[in-house]
Amino acid sequence: MTDTMASPSENSRSKTRGEGKFWTMPRWLTSEHSFPWIFPATATLIVFGLYPIIYSVWLSLNRRHPVTRENEWNPAWNWSRVFADERVWDAISVTYMYTFVAITIQLALGLGIALLLDSDRKGFGLMRALMTLPLVVPPAVTGMMFLLMYNNSFGVISRTLQSIGLLDPAKPLLSSHETALWAVMVADIWQWTPFMVLIMMAGLRALPKDPFEAAAIDGANALQAFRRLTLPMLSKIIAIAVLIRGIDLFRVYDYVKVMTDSGPGTATETLTAYSGTIYFKSANFPYASAVAILTLVLVIITANIFIKVFKVRF
Amino acid sequence: MRTPTYLVTLRYAAAIFVTAVFMFPIFWWTLTSIKPTNAIFNKDEVVWFDFEPTLINYRVTVMGESPSALTGGSTGSGTTMGTGGENSFDGRRTIVDSIIIAVGSTIFTIIVAVGAAYALSRMTFRGNQAYLNWVLSYRFMPPIAIIVPLVFMFRDLGLRDTHLGIILVHSLINLPIAVLLLKSFLDDIPKDVDQAAMIDGATRWQSFRLVVLPMIKGGIAATAVLCFVFSWTEFLLSLFLTSEIRTLPVKITTFVTSTGSEWGFIAALGTSAMIPSFIFILLVQRHLVRGLTMGAIKD
Repeated sequence: MTDTMASPSENSRSKTRGEGKFWTMPRWLTSEHSFPWIFPATATLIVFGLYPIIYSVWLSLNRRHPVTRENEWNPAWNWSRVFADERVWDAISVTYMYTFVAITIQLALGLGIALLLDSDRKGFGLMRALMTLPLVVPPAVTGMMFLLMYNNSFGVISRTLQSIGLLDPAKPLLSSHETALWAVMVADIWQWTPFMVLIMMAGLRALPKDPFEAAAIDGANALQAFRRLTLPMLSKIIAIAVLIRGIDLFRVYDYVKVMTDSGPGTATETLTAYSGTIYFKSANFPYASAVAILTLVLVIITANIFIKVFKVRF
Repeated sequence: MRTPTYLVTLRYAAAIFVTAVFMFPIFWWTLTSIKPTNAIFNKDEVVWFDFEPTLINYRVTVMGESPSALTGGSTGSGTTMGTGGENSFDGRRTIVDSIIIAVGSTIFTIIVAVGAAYALSRMTFRGNQAYLNWVLSYRFMPPIAIIVPLVFMFRDLGLRDTHLGIILVHSLINLPIAVLLLKSFLDDIPKDVDQAAMIDGATRWQSFRLVVLPMIKGGIAATAVLCFVFSWTEFLLSLFLTSEIRTLPVKITTFVTSTGSEWGFIAALGTSAMIPSFIFILLVQRHLVRGLTMGAIKD
């Protein structure tokens, strides 16, 4: 993949360089060759990205000895346990559910808000700029914001819901099985719906005007124009946005770690969170690696299916 | 065709409502940061504006003053605070650490990425597209898949709890974004421009440094801002790889304890952490969509 070769047309020029010098730099080290250009980035990605992944796979094929805590080669040990581990299956279903529900809500809200704010009237520009702010709040801080607002005795959201009778004070939002995952998801939706808004807005702005005028002349109403024109023309952009956001949702960690730490029980335990829990609580690094590699494999499979089905291209 | 007035009003109302909903958590957070303890922890009713604004939370977390001296020992939530000892809510060092890491990883990322972006945009080499996809794939890699080995590697290399270590992993996370984004900015410049320079006898390096680089200054600035923000807000890798050095998002979460959370201090440091992000992001509004989609969608 890093096998490189410059186009032949550049050969003649570079040969004349370095004339009369004691030592001529090899061509592949000169700026005419792509090697020096891509080497630093490639090296960084290999050393801190590819190598750790391979290391992780290797670790997952080891068994941590319960007494000596040494790693010993035992390829089947962790993987047979992974697939027999109910918490893994729970985490998989929580992760897919979280991803699917959150992406659907974010996309729907994002598209709706983009249509709403896509106006040149006074004040809309300011509102569009304000809408981008949630994007850059550190996710851990977002988690804390919602943790505060959800607090059962003095949090503004919980107290308001309680006072209008929508929430039972005996069932705190983040520590009840029925509500915890949804409450975490609200933080994610708050932070990342603006991502969809921005992208959909860019898509709407780039739409050609003519088809809409033609449709209006033919008597199409706004809803028909949206379904038959806007949506199909936005489909490419929607696919890219869903892919990027979907993968980020699949590896969610920050909100879960900060707000519930996978609780109550394992109600909000995603795959990444489970791997982190194994790491911090039992220090069983080979098993934590196995779960992490499983996460990676599921991301790759799911993303590739999506790319094939929706023909996404970067 | 004029839109009826009531529809315009309705649209304004809806737009303002939606914006207000999305601004509310930030507003509430900032409001909390200037509330005295008894207003934050009021269990009888939610306190909106009926309180005496105070800067105590900022004086403790951002200026490092001792909390017990400021509040007379009582902090309201029942947290035991070290008497006279070190102020564990002092965020000054964390702020410095965060700035060093964010600036360092931004500089490293840009220098490394601009070369790869140039090669991808201007040179033809075997496996061009495959290389692009390979770089892109790191954007989608779950950080959890590399974290355990990184902990071991950092221990062996002496990079654990160092600024350099976090700078390098944040650069790894930012590299794919930076390479693709810079490539998209480079693709915007017609190739004739730098080819003309090379026909006139400039080497590739010269044409890059003297012709291309000045033309993508704006693109580099936008990319740098995004790298800074991503590093500034990153949580997982910093959490696993540090215990002494702390970036802001990690430090803030340590204020939550089982015995009680110092919400005033958390909100004050949290608000301080948001401000640089807000300023930066408003500066690059124009390139935000392109940045978030790594050049796939140009605004």
